Amino acid sequence: MIRPRWYKVLADLWGNRVRSSLVIASIAVGLFAIGIILTLHTILQRDMRSGYAAIHPANMEMSVLSLRTTTLEKVRGVAGVQNAEAARVFNLRAKARSGEWVTITLNAFPDIKNKKINRPKLEEGNWPPHKRQIAIDRYKLDELGCNVGDWLELELPDGSIRTMQVSGVIQDQSIGASGSGGGFFMAPAQGYISADSLGWLGQPEAYNQLYVAVADHAEDEEHIRLVADRVRKTIEKNGGVVLSQSVRASDNHPNSSYTLAISNVLIVLGALVVVLSGFLITNTFQALLVQQVGQIGIMKTIGGRSQQIIAIYLSLIFIFGVLAFALALPLANWASRGLLKFLAGQINMELQEFRPVPAAAFLMLGLALIVPQAAGFLPILNGVRISVQEATSGIRQTGKTSRPSRLEQRLLHLRRAPRPLLVSLRNTFRSKGRLALTLITLSLGGAIFIATFNVRTSIDDYVTRVGKYFLADINLTLERPYHVREIQKSLEALPEVKMVEGWASARAEILRSDNLVADSTTILAPPADSPLVQPILLEGRWVSAGDHNAIAISERFSDILPGIGPGDTLRLRINGQETRWTVVGRFQLVGKSGGYVAYTSFENLNRTVGYANRTNTFRVVASQPGLTLQGQKELGRKIESYLKSQGYNVKEAAAGLTLNENTTTGLDVLTTFLLIMALLTALVGSIGLMGTMSLNVMERTREIGVLRAIGASDGKVIQIVIVEGLLIGIISWALAFLLSFPISKLMSDAVFMALFDASWRSSFTPIGSVIWLAAALLLSAVASILPARNAARLTIREVLAYE
Amino acid sequence: MHHLDPQPPPCESESEPKALIQLRQVVKRYRSAGGEFTALKGISLDIYPGELVGIVGKSGAGKTTLVNMITGIDHPTSGEILVNGVAIHKMNENQLALWRGRTVGVIYQNFQLMPTLSLLNNIMLPMDFCGLWQRRISAERALELLRAVELEDHAYKLPSAISGGQQQRVAIARALANDPPILIADEPTGRLDSVTAETIFQIFIRLVEAGKTLVMVTHDESLACRASRVIHIADGQITGDSRPRGEGEP
Repeated sequence: MIRPRWYKVLADLWGNRVRSSLVIASIAVGLFAIGIILTLHTILQRDMRSGYAAIHPANMEMSVLSLRTTTLEKVRGVAGVQNAEAARVFNLRAKARSGEWVTITLNAFPDIKNKKINRPKLEEGNWPPHKRQIAIDRYKLDELGCNVGDWLELELPDGSIRTMQVSGVIQDQSIGASGSGGGFFMAPAQGYISADSLGWLGQPEAYNQLYVAVADHAEDEEHIRLVADRVRKTIEKNGGVVLSQSVRASDNHPNSSYTLAISNVLIVLGALVVVLSGFLITNTFQALLVQQVGQIGIMKTIGGRSQQIIAIYLSLIFIFGVLAFALALPLANWASRGLLKFLAGQINMELQEFRPVPAAAFLMLGLALIVPQAAGFLPILNGVRISVQEATSGIRQTGKTSRPSRLEQRLLHLRRAPRPLLVSLRNTFRSKGRLALTLITLSLGGAIFIATFNVRTSIDDYVTRVGKYFLADINLTLERPYHVREIQKSLEALPEVKMVEGWASARAEILRSDNLVADSTTILAPPADSPLVQPILLEGRWVSAGDHNAIAISERFSDILPGIGPGDTLRLRINGQETRWTVVGRFQLVGKSGGYVAYTSFENLNRTVGYANRTNTFRVVASQPGLTLQGQKELGRKIESYLKSQGYNVKEAAAGLTLNENTTTGLDVLTTFLLIMALLTALVGSIGLMGTMSLNVMERTREIGVLRAIGASDGKVIQIVIVEGLLIGIISWALAFLLSFPISKLMSDAVFMALFDASWRSSFTPIGSVIWLAAALLLSAVASILPARNAARLTIREVLAYE
Repeated sequence: MHHLDPQPPPCESESEPKALIQLRQVVKRYRSAGGEFTALKGISLDIYPGELVGIVGKSGAGKTTLVNMITGIDHPTSGEILVNGVAIHKMNENQLALWRGRTVGVIYQNFQLMPTLSLLNNIMLPMDFCGLWQRRISAERALELLRAVELEDHAYKLPSAISGGQQQRVAIARALANDPPILIADEPTGRLDSVTAETIFQIFIRLVEAGKTLVMVTHDESLACRASRVIHIADGQITGDSRPRGEGEP
């Protein structure tokens, strides 16, 4: 037989199911959020590493001129090399279903069937593709708009068309691994073909890309660099020229900076949600205990000692915690699974079979058992400390005279306001401690919600700012270099074209002081003082006309050459030749999200590579300012057909805003994720708001009876309660608005440091604030009206006897 | 009506009856925003075993404050209170709770039953807190007490499912749970009709006959005059102490 005190625990739990549900929901929602956060954090980090390692990724990737099969065999024999594969990688244009020609990178492998490095995962159709067949990576499949079995038109450099059948859709996690071209999100669509299709596509059957996996220490990039140096020497000894080289550890997925950013946001959010839940639970128990004061008095009257009564309520809280845990755990796992699926698809990672994270479950259980007990202990202690007389009579004797606060005195002197409004106002500010607790809970929830929108805006702002490195309307690439003046003259004849600049570019290897190649960089070379680049300078200055071998480097260089800055010498190997550059400035680009980028002047680079005023890359500015992406694409088509009519072979005429679009696509993952987190916080905040408001009203059921006894109609009672709810909603919103600024800063710093290795100014958007204001008002009203209506339905006798 | 208490009445000394409850110069002052208020102004009082004492007076006279002093529910500002030889004014809240559970049964005007517990569990709860009875025995005893107040059939109902008079009978049964020598009833019939009030009073008489000492606050003079002793209170002072039935001191 259960002892009566434990029976009371169960009876309290079951007797007021609405109240118990609210308390359990308040605890569960915090646990749920923490469960999701920890599960995502753990699985993202773990699966990204293990999933990437499982494809046997290349530890080094080299662009090589004249890579012969005999050289490849020799590379396989280099000490420390486990395996090496060659490929021919080249760009063509493919006709998307929309009719638009888009760039596609084709990767041709000699022994595609037995590919051992960077193994693709077949998602649909067949692998490997046979001769004249192509497999497509899933990420840009929508852009191409083709399916397995469809025929894809490809435009060759000479303008002829070849049609290949899509044999399969694959996932290639190695996209963006070399860091060139802006990484995964900026990479064009990827196609995979067998080397025996090369001739048919007008390509030489020679390889230009080398992938090497090291035999051991595959997680140590320093060791990989040493092996890479041996590989390079072998290639050079055999007549090859290494144009660029990048190394990557086997557990370092190309998009790991995104998971790091997401994890950082999760950690900040997790910490905030723990605090939020703590307040929410304390608030809830405070309300619960206020309702139990009378019963505590009775128990003390009939012999209940403090420790016995404390044990009763701690047991009740224990059960609340266990039930909340039982509710939150499966929900958190279910939601985490969905979120992970979404994220994995977006950041090109391979999820392992979903399995619950024991650490998350243990943390949730620990929090479910500890936080409510800690949060409830003080209210319980206060409740138990009340004397029997105070508890049973409901009148607190503080022993000291309390003067009304200045605010209360002002409220007392408000004469013109309607009486019900005055009652609401006075009720709101009557219990200041309780009000403070409620406001802290609601404000924190609201502030996090608003902050996530601000962080989104900061990211968008940053993307817009980064777009100012690429201000041209059209980025034009021709099949071969032409004299800059020739193309300028030709294009400026078009009325739609305002200005044409010839840009040079090159891939170069960054040399360390020990002569090892640290990594490779893209060098962009606009004319000195080009108006098409507006850099974000971190230190030093931009490259000017008249500078000799001056170069400005992106912030990422500090990762491999710590302390490098203006005045230092940078050694770069271009086309196998070592060159020396003087760093004049360091600028901020997209940090770890992109590769290494350096800017010099067109003149400097052209002198180095010996092109003498010739290039195949041009930036075109339209006569009409502020063209949309569509407008730019239109102009691109016009320029392309015009140049073709003039006898030039155009490789690509890409809209300038495409770059922005691609960057934004990458960051969209993050902003969508932030939105989901905002909704999760809103859920925590909303349940907190509803729970708190409902318990506030339940607590005042007796007072509602008094109001009705003195003539207040049901409508008036509900009005008083709603106005009070709305007041709390408005005050909490105002505080949330203020609090959102430091939280926005905290969160955006976490994101920007992870993604870009730099902080960025916090932006503000009214969207989050407006949505939260509407939510706070609506939820306050709804949360107040339901219990108020229930209270109004009770008879006066019932309501006065309410416990 | 069954026997309310199977225990025999305590043995009393023929020569020197000793007071069970002793109040010496008890003063109680309350402070509030409105100023200081003296509820009890130096009350001295002896109550003897087996007495049925009615405390009468107008609202605000200090009746409830006085019995709260006896039960240890409230603390005196000054003065001494000895109950069954124990100086309860020196005890802390925790000591008082255990002492009260074992020594005093309190009956309130508004019954003060635990709303979420069945009648049986309401009666078993004081036994559970004070640990005087084994669990199996406490259930039997609770049923016996319910039988004594003729509510055995309602044992598993919640307080809200029975009438006010029945709730008060349960409150009496609960007050007897630990077999305390003293019962304190604060306006026990205040919320009951006259027929039910009479039933409750009859129970009180039987309890006193069974050896309990009962102190009852009431402003119902007709009920008070049926007590063995009536104490009048006005403005925090005893203004009268009489024995309407003309009995001598125990």
